[in-house]
Amino acid sequence: MSPRRAIAATLAAAAAVATLPWLTSDFALSLALTCVMYAGLTVSWSMFSGVTNYLSLATAAFFGIGAYVTAWGLGTLPYALLVPTGGLVAAAFAALFGAAVLHLRGAYFAVITFGLGELVRHAITYFEKTYAHTVGRVIVDVPGSTAVFLTVLAVSAAAVVTALAVRASRFGLALAGIGSDEARAETLGVGARRTKVAGFALSAFFAGALGAAMAVRWTYIEPNSVFNPFIGFQTVLISMVGGAATIAGPLAASVVFSLLTEFLRLQFPYLFLMLLGALLIALVLYLPGGLASLAPAVRAWLARRAAGDARG
Amino acid sequence: MSFWFELAASGLITGGIYAVVALGLNLQYGLMRIMNISHGEFLMLGAYATWLAYTVLGVNPLVFLPAVAALLFLAGLAVYAVCFRPLAAGAPSVEVFEARSLLVGFGLMFLVQNAAYLAWGADLRGYSFLAEPVELGGARFTENRLVVFAFAVAASLALLAVLRFTLVGKAVRAMMQSPTGAQLVGVDTATLHPVVFGAGLALAGVAGALLSMVYEVSPSMGEPYTVTALIVITLGGLGSAIGCLAGGLLLGLVEAFGMHFTNPSLKMLLSYGVFIGVLLARPRGLFAR
Amino acid sequence: MAETVVAATDVTVRFGGLVAVDHVSLEVARGELLGIIGPNGAGKTTFFHALSGVVRPTSGRLVVAGDDLTGRPAHVFARHGVARTFQTPRVFRDMTAEANVRFGLEFAGRGRPAGRDAFADARSILDFLGIGAAAGVPAGELTPARQRLLEIGMALGARPRVLLLDEVAAGLTEAEVESTAALIRRVRDELGIAVVWIEHAVRVLMRFVERVVVLHQGRKLADGTPGAVAADRDVVEAYLGEAVI
Repeated sequence: MSPRRAIAATLAAAAAVATLPWLTSDFALSLALTCVMYAGLTVSWSMFSGVTNYLSLATAAFFGIGAYVTAWGLGTLPYALLVPTGGLVAAAFAALFGAAVLHLRGAYFAVITFGLGELVRHAITYFEKTYAHTVGRVIVDVPGSTAVFLTVLAVSAAAVVTALAVRASRFGLALAGIGSDEARAETLGVGARRTKVAGFALSAFFAGALGAAMAVRWTYIEPNSVFNPFIGFQTVLISMVGGAATIAGPLAASVVFSLLTEFLRLQFPYLFLMLLGALLIALVLYLPGGLASLAPAVRAWLARRAAGDARG
Repeated sequence: MSFWFELAASGLITGGIYAVVALGLNLQYGLMRIMNISHGEFLMLGAYATWLAYTVLGVNPLVFLPAVAALLFLAGLAVYAVCFRPLAAGAPSVEVFEARSLLVGFGLMFLVQNAAYLAWGADLRGYSFLAEPVELGGARFTENRLVVFAFAVAASLALLAVLRFTLVGKAVRAMMQSPTGAQLVGVDTATLHPVVFGAGLALAGVAGALLSMVYEVSPSMGEPYTVTALIVITLGGLGSAIGCLAGGLLLGLVEAFGMHFTNPSLKMLLSYGVFIGVLLARPRGLFAR
Repeated sequence: MAETVVAATDVTVRFGGLVAVDHVSLEVARGELLGIIGPNGAGKTTFFHALSGVVRPTSGRLVVAGDDLTGRPAHVFARHGVARTFQTPRVFRDMTAEANVRFGLEFAGRGRPAGRDAFADARSILDFLGIGAAAGVPAGELTPARQRLLEIGMALGARPRVLLLDEVAAGLTEAEVESTAALIRRVRDELGIAVVWIEHAVRVLMRFVERVVVLHQGRKLADGTPGAVAADRDVVEAYLGEAVI
């Protein structure tokens, strides 16, 4: 599919999903919200990490930063303004941090991004305890569930459209070159450092905006819930399951996973997480390209069947 | 005077455990590029095994220590055979292997931790062992803390000696410096890798067993130690066993004094701050040339 | 006097205690076809790393087309017209051959003149190299010999002033070496760019280049026409009886 048509398809799909608040029950809508949120998170994650192979576990940090922008700003600024602000704060933070750590590769980068999330979580906990004398914050005066759903949908759709546009652009080519062979890309004229920082910040923008948009969903937020490392792991897991180098793979996988999470996690919390762990291992071992890597085989099989039907 | 001694000693006691935990992880990463993020989960298993042996069978935890090491060593062989051997065979490059083994580590973390929740529940478990206080140099410690420190340092030194003086140890050090070179002179990686991976988990198990004598045991107890081990490795330098021992003791001291001078709730903030600071300023470790 | 495209002055590269390149100076003129030879470990590849900005020299100056680029990152060298290949071909394995060449065109080569129509786009560069048929094939699936050609194509995509070739003939058959050498000569003739060519297989190189520099233990041992260099006693000694001609 050409980028233009893919973007048009994305917008059409988003418009269709936008009618859900008027069609479904509250329960179904909250399920849909989780799906849409993870779709946005995974697509924005693979936009940078999937393409460059810089495995970031900082999603929880950016998400939490965005959520705290809303927690601190609600009442002063309108919700519609807080969402992009949350994104920008997260992006600025990512740019600063990225400039310092993006020379580290491999496990080091993954571990330091994980440490970053924990550092921010502990810093905010400490700050709130010492200066605001509180552990968490009660969020009052929140927008209705329809407004929240549409906002999260808008951010996620923007993430998908951006991912498509980036992939078709020079910037996307530079990121792909860095993922394939960074030093080679440098000798062909790519300013790897600036490209990486920009990509990391762009990816963080959407995670931050989603955090800011989702914060009002919980009436009470505290560092332990919005900086939950689980958000980061789940994002990586879903992207890997779907195929981190693609866009459609993570999108599809996030829907399946959010539904599974909602149903199984409450019923069998430990068993569900065990299953998740086993699945991650099996996937990395036997299907490292994700479900998307099965697509050509499936397509070939369908084509063979179609050919067979035509003959038969 | 005795107050400072007590503070420093308690820092060193914690640091001794940190060193043992980090040594295992460092060995695995240094040799095989496996950043096993589930290292702490195996520490937790060692702690539960010791707790079970003591409360159910009445076995003395110190007597049980070799059994914990053996159990975790076998677990390490199994995990290596099931996960990391096929992974190494299928990965096109070291970078890809590193990234994938990290993800496998996360998978193991989820799997093992939640299996423990399922088996033993979320309650804190513990037992009382050598809990009598003793006087030492004007400061008071419980016996078990002194025993734990002694065993932690002994385990670390034993490992250092193995690395330095035995043939296997020399092979491991050679592999860390030059994998191809070591293979050329006949180091058999097919046996060495699983054995070292098992040894890493055995060290984690020993650390867990020691911890269970002093602190409570719970399924989530391992995670912070993984992070601490990563910090210690960063301080001491990748692949350096002696750096690990020094880094562990240093971090124990930093935490003890840092918490005394600032605020106990700053402990994690302090650890992560040191971690990120060192990674940025000296990615090859404090003691690297 | 022809214009100088690259000037290295007193370049030294030190790794810890090891001096890989020791006060080497070299000027490359526009359109020149220059060979660098030397025994293993002579510092040839490290010198290339310095010339292309991959390694920052410990001391010395690097001037490309009049601009002092000493200490700048590799992509700045690329944008000033320094393109190179690597000893073991480094192609983007998952991208098609065409995308590999387009990569250079999109970044270092962007906004730089094509020189000739035969180098206007990725497709025509591949055709020039004789691997046009493989345009849609992922680079990782090409044979090593074709990956070497593709690397030259990637470098040409960067529209260089000077092309640094690091052992492009290694592992090729006699006939392939001949045709690669002829190709390199055509690149120089048709585009008028300078070519600096490192080769371990000295014999072929000496026949094709106009000037030879000999590196030995990091130092420049000789610099002159192939005939003069081959007659140089020091050079013969450095090779310890390895047949030079």
